[in-house]
Amino acid sequence: MSGHPVNGLDDVVHQRVRLGILAVAHEARQVEFGYLRTRLELTGGNLSQHLATLENAGLVTITKGYEGKRPRTWVSLTKAGRRGLREEVTRLKRVIDQIEQANPSA
Amino acid sequence: MTTESAGSARARLELARDLAREVRREQRAAWFPLLVFGVITLIAIPVTRAGHAAGLVCRGNLAPGEHGVRVCVAHNSAAFVYWPVALIAAYVLIAFFYLRLARARGVGTRVRPYVVVGLVLACVTIAASIWASHRVLSGGYDFAGWHLQGPDLYRLIAPACAIGLALLVLAAVDRSVVLGAVALVFLVIAIGRPDFGWSIRQTSRWAFAPHLVIEAAVLLLASAGFALVQLQHRRARRRPV
Repeated sequence: MSGHPVNGLDDVVHQRVRLGILAVAHEARQVEFGYLRTRLELTGGNLSQHLATLENAGLVTITKGYEGKRPRTWVSLTKAGRRGLREEVTRLKRVIDQIEQANPSA
Repeated sequence: MTTESAGSARARLELARDLAREVRREQRAAWFPLLVFGVITLIAIPVTRAGHAAGLVCRGNLAPGEHGVRVCVAHNSAAFVYWPVALIAAYVLIAFFYLRLARARGVGTRVRPYVVVGLVLACVTIAASIWASHRVLSGGYDFAGWHLQGPDLYRLIAPACAIGLALLVLAAVDRSVVLGAVALVFLVIAIGRPDFGWSIRQTSRWAFAPHLVIEAAVLLLASAGFALVQLQHRRARRRPV
């Protein structure tokens, strides 16, 4: 994949909410569904859809369990998820660098 | 179009960084280890006072009528047992607290390396104390290019040093510059042992107390400061924008 770094961006990871989920899960090691919903200001259904997309792409694993009597869903990054996030951040930085070099006033 | 892409890329990067920063704030609870270590340092005062000199060892045997220097040291019987138990109990308590807090807040925790390093430091301190209790550390010692005097060694293997080093590790785990600075100040106090003009005559059985009070005060004040900042942050987050 050559040319402008925008062409290398992975749509699954690049999407704003999913990038947010990956960033939180990376920093937190594992993160609870309710925390993500509150922090990203999403509805439960919307968050579930994004998580399903990430899980299908093999970027996160979802574990369901109980904390006392309360059901809890925990999300953690897979190796591919960590790599995907790292590559996305690198590509975003390259996009910014290339555009700034081409158009310094931007 | 390219300008739009740059703005969008920057916004995404900032979003990821802000979210990561927020998670780090949620994970931090440095006030608790500082409080626990401050409390065990305070408790060490009556414990040490209740103990007695034990395990007297001397260096420099003098024949009757001979002149010279004979150095004898003894350890405090109660403090010798108290510190290993207190340090290990403190790390278990801190690990338990961090895990509970992380579960309650809905994020994982990075406390494991801190607890592991803390326990290793506690074990090294215990082993060093046992080793030192069988000999007199006087004169000079060379370690990896460092020249240390006997009294310096006693300070380096003291529990306060293990606490300070563990706090440095916690600062690295939390990526907290402020906590790192607190840990360094505490280490300087633990090793340098300044008395800030407050000393009790050496013959008193309370002669040891000022150093422990100063160390405990630093830890407890730092704990209060961190707790206050965290409370303000949580209140600010609850406030409607």
